[in-house]
Amino acid sequence: MPQYQQQASWRLEGGGQIIDLETAIKDGILGGGGGGLPAGKDGTLGATAEKLDLKKMIEELDSAAPEDVPSVFICPISLEPMVDPVTLCTGQTYERANILKWFSLGHLTCPTTMQELWDDAVTPNRTLHQLINAWFSQRYLLLKKRSEDVQGRAAELVQSLKKVKGQARVQALKDLQKIVVAHPSVKKTVADSGGVSLLSSLLGPFTSHAVGSEVIAILVNLCLDSDAKTSLMQPARISLVVDMLNEGTIDTKINCTRFIEMLMEEKSFRWEVVSSLSLLVALLRLVKDKRHPNGMAAGLSLLKAICSHEQVRSLIVSVGAVPQLVELLPNLSPECSEPAWHILDDLSTTPEGLSALKDCPQTIPNAVRLLMRVSEACTQYALSILWAVCKLAPDECASLAVEAGLAAKLLLVIQSGCSPELKQRAAELLKLCSLNYTTTLFISKCKLTRTIQ
Amino acid sequence: MISMLYFVVESMGSFCSRQQPLNEVDSDENKQAAKIDSRIAEETKAEQHIHKLLLLGAGESGKSTIFKQIRLLFQTGFDEAELRSYTSVIHANVYQTIKILYDGAKELAENEPNSLKYVVRADNKEIGEKLSEIGSRMDSPCLTKEIAKEIVTLWNDTAIQETYSHGNILQVPDCAQYFMENLERFSEVNYIPTKEDVLHARVRTTGVVEIQFSPVGESRKSGEVYRLYDVGGQRNERRKWIHLFEGVTSVIFCAAISEYDQMLFEDDTKNRMMETKELFEWVLKQSCFEKSSFMLFLNKFDIFEKKVHRVPLNVCEWFKDYQPMGSGKQEVEHAYEFVKKKFEELYFQNSKPDCVDRAFKIYRTTALDQKLVKKTFKLVDETLRRRNLIEAGLL
Repeated sequence: MPQYQQQASWRLEGGGQIIDLETAIKDGILGGGGGGLPAGKDGTLGATAEKLDLKKMIEELDSAAPEDVPSVFICPISLEPMVDPVTLCTGQTYERANILKWFSLGHLTCPTTMQELWDDAVTPNRTLHQLINAWFSQRYLLLKKRSEDVQGRAAELVQSLKKVKGQARVQALKDLQKIVVAHPSVKKTVADSGGVSLLSSLLGPFTSHAVGSEVIAILVNLCLDSDAKTSLMQPARISLVVDMLNEGTIDTKINCTRFIEMLMEEKSFRWEVVSSLSLLVALLRLVKDKRHPNGMAAGLSLLKAICSHEQVRSLIVSVGAVPQLVELLPNLSPECSEPAWHILDDLSTTPEGLSALKDCPQTIPNAVRLLMRVSEACTQYALSILWAVCKLAPDECASLAVEAGLAAKLLLVIQSGCSPELKQRAAELLKLCSLNYTTTLFISKCKLTRTIQ
Repeated sequence: MISMLYFVVESMGSFCSRQQPLNEVDSDENKQAAKIDSRIAEETKAEQHIHKLLLLGAGESGKSTIFKQIRLLFQTGFDEAELRSYTSVIHANVYQTIKILYDGAKELAENEPNSLKYVVRADNKEIGEKLSEIGSRMDSPCLTKEIAKEIVTLWNDTAIQETYSHGNILQVPDCAQYFMENLERFSEVNYIPTKEDVLHARVRTTGVVEIQFSPVGESRKSGEVYRLYDVGGQRNERRKWIHLFEGVTSVIFCAAISEYDQMLFEDDTKNRMMETKELFEWVLKQSCFEKSSFMLFLNKFDIFEKKVHRVPLNVCEWFKDYQPMGSGKQEVEHAYEFVKKKFEELYFQNSKPDCVDRAFKIYRTTALDQKLVKKTFKLVDETLRRRNLIEAGLL
């Protein structure tokens, strides 16, 4: 390539960005903004502080605004941008640390050209370092500027929410939500400018769905302190959230479930807050909606959290949760199976729940099928339910279970690497089931081999 | 439907009376028939876009007040002629009220243990008897300044005040205080009732009344049309006509939550809240409403607010497991949430599994407060519009 001839554009090997000379000068990459670098005494480029800064910039830019770094800036060994580029006698440039490591492993070749090196000196490539520094600095400064802007915009939006009404309010909320999700650093700004209490105050008995769903979408992404959460637990506000859980889009519904879960973590939370039939019915509807698996998962997660409060369990059973959940089981993904079985296990501790489990024809077959299939936790829950149901009505259920192949499964459990308590449970259940059978008949049901017997 | 039948009948009349040659009659008939068919099709199509709302509830639950509010909010309101027509109603209400109070005081004086406090002062007795007689007439005389003064005197009698504060076992209308406070105005010679007066006026609804309206929102483009039906609240023969409202978009059920300690007008041994409970259960079970949304208006919250401190909820059998908590505003909220939960429970207990997708929302209302009714209706409108979009698969 003729040295001083200016080309319209330089095509770089391996693709990547095209830096043409004019743009490079205009953008200040060549000499303008980047500035010179003080060379250290030992010949390494710049002070250590400079290098760290570059490293920091590279890291932040990588996470915040992934953009294609020009391929000439990338070290061929690590495929990372070079912080201290050095050139070999073959003219190829590498990250100093990487090429030195290559040499220390005993290689005296150039990794890319495979040529044998006639000179093992590594020359710092100051030009390239300057370019890399300038390129990253420019973008870093731009990022910082944009993020500062974002903070300002967020504060502006919070202020405007105090005044606007109607459609303008909905729009401001939508904008704020977008910013909070895109720039997590904004959360603090929102909280500091009184955003949390303002948003809470927008939720009331006369809040429209449009406003309410946007407010929840924002609150779910913020960190709420104790006072905020307590004030959000007011019955009128919870009713509003339940209504949105009933009527909203799938995203709104998921936000509502996450919101309620957030409130449940609070110390001052009382079970009465979630003892609403409307909430439980809406949750069940969400859990059963096969079109939206992420909705199902969110619903099950909240239902599981609610179920951990004993006092609400009979209410959950009264809305028909047991048969509806049992019917869902065969089609659930593994992530959803566990919470579903956990819920059923919790419900089995109430008399209504247990009898609902017994009455549902699919309980035993589904439980038997599940043993040892998904996870130890699921096996534990399923076993616990089978135990409870068989104890309740041994004649009916034990035989049903055995017919469904329970015995063989139990043996599997006993032989497996599960916890001792689980194995003990399995053994007890096996004993319980065997009571109605003669030994020979039972053994045939277990499909035992002689050795195990 | 009725207007269409009328049209058909009219056209039929013109067929029979036409004197024309046979073949012409045929083609004319066909033309007419085609016209009628297309008109029926048009009207059916138009009807489908009209959301029909049915106001249900026990007597004096506030249905007609809501109805009047909607008229004031979304139609041209009441013109002067209509306002004037309420003058005699209001005067009659005044006489009825004071009669109930006076007769009630006499009754309490006879039957209650500490009867002395219900005994009207000697010099007021004559007024009382006179007013009681007027109140029992079918046509009441105009309210003059003199009579108004007499009523005020009687109203201020401690016995009458005492009776009023124990008004739950009598049939004292809720707006008694309002009437008594505005007597001077009502007795003016050129008195024309204000909108507020009309809202308080009490006329028993007979038959069915309907209005058609379009709530104009901010966007002004949706143009949803609603038709609101108000039926009488009393018990007679409900089951016979209820199925005429099959397929209404929404049932707006009004329940006056302040009535938990009052008895029915039709049967003074029956608690009004229990009657509301039974009526709600009955309505929920009707198959004609299987697809209708249910909007429950827990009405008369302003009266409920004040009563909760004086009269515990437990006096009503349905609320006997109520545990009071807190004081002041907190107590009111707690009591309200309790009542709301009871209605919620009732709803889910009486809804069949296949009605699970029916929308059900509870609103706290005070039908006399126009701003509140407007806000409440905005929410109802939003819910119904969202339902529409969901059903059309657009949401």
